[in-house]
Amino acid sequence: MAAEEFKNDPDYIIYKPIIEKGRGAYILGIVLVSVFLWTMYMYGTQLIRGLGITGLNSRISWGFYIVNFVFFIGISHAGTLISAILRLSKAEWRRPITRMAEVTTAIVLAIGGLHPIIDLGRPDRMLNIFFYGRLQSPLLWDVTAITCYFTASTVYLYLPMIPDIARMRDMGVRPHWLYSFLSWGWRGTPHQKKTLDRALSILMVLVIPIAISVHTVISFIFSMTLQPGWHSTIFGPYFVVGAIFSGIAALLVVMIIFRKVFHLEGYLKEVHFRYLSTLLLIMSFLWFYFTFSEYLTGIYGSEPNEMRTILYKFTGDYWPFFWGMVLCNFVIPVVILSFKKLKTIKGIFIASMAVIVGMWLERLNIIVPSLTIPRLNYTPQFYAPSLVEWALFLAGLTAFALAFLLFSKFFPIISVWEIKEGREEVMSVKERIDGYQPDTDIKREEK
Amino acid sequence: MLNFHRDAGTPPYIFAMQILSISFIWVFVAGITWWIVRLIVLSVNLHDAPDLSFIISIVIIPIFFILAGVLTYVFMNLQRNRPEDIDNKEGENEADEKM
Amino acid sequence: MFNWGMVIDLNKCTGCGACVSACRSENNIPNVGPEESRAARAIFWMDLLEVVEGEFPDVKVQYIPRPCFHCEKPPCTKVCPVRATYKNDEGLVAQIYHRCIGCRYCMVACPYSVKSFNWYEPERPPEFRQTCNPDVSLRMKGVVEKCTFCNHRLQKAKDRARFESVELQENDYQPACVEACPASAIIFGNFEDKKHAVYRLGKSNRAFKMQEDLGTEPKVIYLARED
Repeated sequence: MAAEEFKNDPDYIIYKPIIEKGRGAYILGIVLVSVFLWTMYMYGTQLIRGLGITGLNSRISWGFYIVNFVFFIGISHAGTLISAILRLSKAEWRRPITRMAEVTTAIVLAIGGLHPIIDLGRPDRMLNIFFYGRLQSPLLWDVTAITCYFTASTVYLYLPMIPDIARMRDMGVRPHWLYSFLSWGWRGTPHQKKTLDRALSILMVLVIPIAISVHTVISFIFSMTLQPGWHSTIFGPYFVVGAIFSGIAALLVVMIIFRKVFHLEGYLKEVHFRYLSTLLLIMSFLWFYFTFSEYLTGIYGSEPNEMRTILYKFTGDYWPFFWGMVLCNFVIPVVILSFKKLKTIKGIFIASMAVIVGMWLERLNIIVPSLTIPRLNYTPQFYAPSLVEWALFLAGLTAFALAFLLFSKFFPIISVWEIKEGREEVMSVKERIDGYQPDTDIKREEK
Repeated sequence: MLNFHRDAGTPPYIFAMQILSISFIWVFVAGITWWIVRLIVLSVNLHDAPDLSFIISIVIIPIFFILAGVLTYVFMNLQRNRPEDIDNKEGENEADEKM
Repeated sequence: MFNWGMVIDLNKCTGCGACVSACRSENNIPNVGPEESRAARAIFWMDLLEVVEGEFPDVKVQYIPRPCFHCEKPPCTKVCPVRATYKNDEGLVAQIYHRCIGCRYCMVACPYSVKSFNWYEPERPPEFRQTCNPDVSLRMKGVVEKCTFCNHRLQKAKDRARFESVELQENDYQPACVEACPASAIIFGNFEDKKHAVYRLGKSNRAFKMQEDLGTEPKVIYLARED
């Protein structure tokens, strides 16, 4: 029977969560759905009563919702970017990582893309953006860019899934109609393989400029205004670097969790974590370089409005968040990832969680202090988010977990056909690497 | 594309759903294009958008078409199962020749 | 033709707040209550800023009335995604309340923080409704609002002029704050008319604009206090 043959497949452990649906998954699912429903109830109260139930005010009119928006879209980066760049550079170690990376991107983009809607005072008039949109508004550039990136990353997630879905259709995994529908008639013929290859080559090149433009455009929302601390030309690259940084950290956390829960130690080996965490270390230094440039420029110029904002972050009410960010984004990852003894899976997990928290704090530090200290003589307020804002933050995180749970129960979380392809192509990879060696003069060698 | 016919292993109703989903993607892309063109026309009438916005918007439209095109290309090609492409193990595809 | 602007003479301003009060009555601005006001959610189209210099006992306080500056190059209109705020041909930065989606980007983009937001559905008890100005539309929850230089008075003046088949004269139309000021500290008029006081005073050597280096070219010019 097909199922027996399946169990003898050397990669069966990847399919196990789909075929044997454990009780833990159902319990986790119920808990997550309940929490999510509660957060939606909280959103309902906001819709009925108005944005007044948040902690926002007329000076600090952007707070948690926008922070979370930038945060979630930021995480979307490493997904497609790492998967696309590693594929382009033919790095063989990418094979078990690409699927998780692409799924992270797609989920997080959907969540992040919906965040501006919960921030609107009149979400019922959302369609006005389509009817009366103004091309010169950075928010509109944002809507376009995120739609484009979401489409591209969904396609880039879906196409490499086709061979795996086809395998599950052939092995009779339930629900059969779903896999039959999604597999588009894949039979594994050489012609089809070539088609897929060609399509992926186009996509992996296309996705990179789209991904970079998305976070640049998000940074333009801030840098195109005249607020102190925002009107900086470095914002585009700064945000892209920050996004890749937080994305790699999120990817590492996802990898570690799935490795533990699904027993994938054979596939996500030490070497994968070592390479990715080296990338994380490099991004930490890069992030520090950009942050340092930004603040040095501000402090050296000493423009009064800029200085007020900077001092608010350094020594004013926001100092715990600012220095906490530096600790989480720079000190902890650099210390843990620079020393071989500390660079264990546990250490990498701690470093990645620290980076995720630190990057969230960075978004908070960029958005709120500039609004807290207005240019004219108003009394500075301290922004204290209310329960609704925390609830909707939790909603984003819960939705992320739920979506991943659902995905992992229907589709393999590691790209099985790429793993199998990797095994078959070992010789051709060896030939490719041999080709890198310099051409020596054979006669001289024989002497 | 001349030899396009449905893959033998796919039941007709599933095939219909697949065709429907591909058409939906083109409807989506057409919608996006119409929206962006509408915004460009509005900007030209109001005369207050920087020129860069036009260029960016005009660049976005081909990207959507490329994405839809890639999906359609993959779908069309996955339906083809010519005899010379077949692996020896999957003999059931011989049914295609008769279609 | 018309480019409406204001000159505010800080020498004459006593900080009485009549302009603030008149604006609130004229434009049906709702009260948000003491708690919300403390949380910086009060709606003031015309606000009175207080600048305190020096330490007790040598304290000097300057009161500065601050309406919307209706800038020549408004940073708020550039960023609105739905054109709910835009600059019209007469130099006013106008708003379309029914189109505003409440994204608050204009609030964040304005360097002078002149825009207010309706955080809750504005309370309009029956007593309040009796004193409402029928010419000004009532704003709803979730939209942004700001000073309009009493645009409704401009509409009425234009209608009257058309009815009487005469040209609109500048002093036919004065916003509520200008009318209410007991010290005549606020002068309002057309900057295009080189004979008007607004144009003349705008060129005085006491004239300054708020945060002029930002390049927004505000059309409310202040005349500095002389001591």
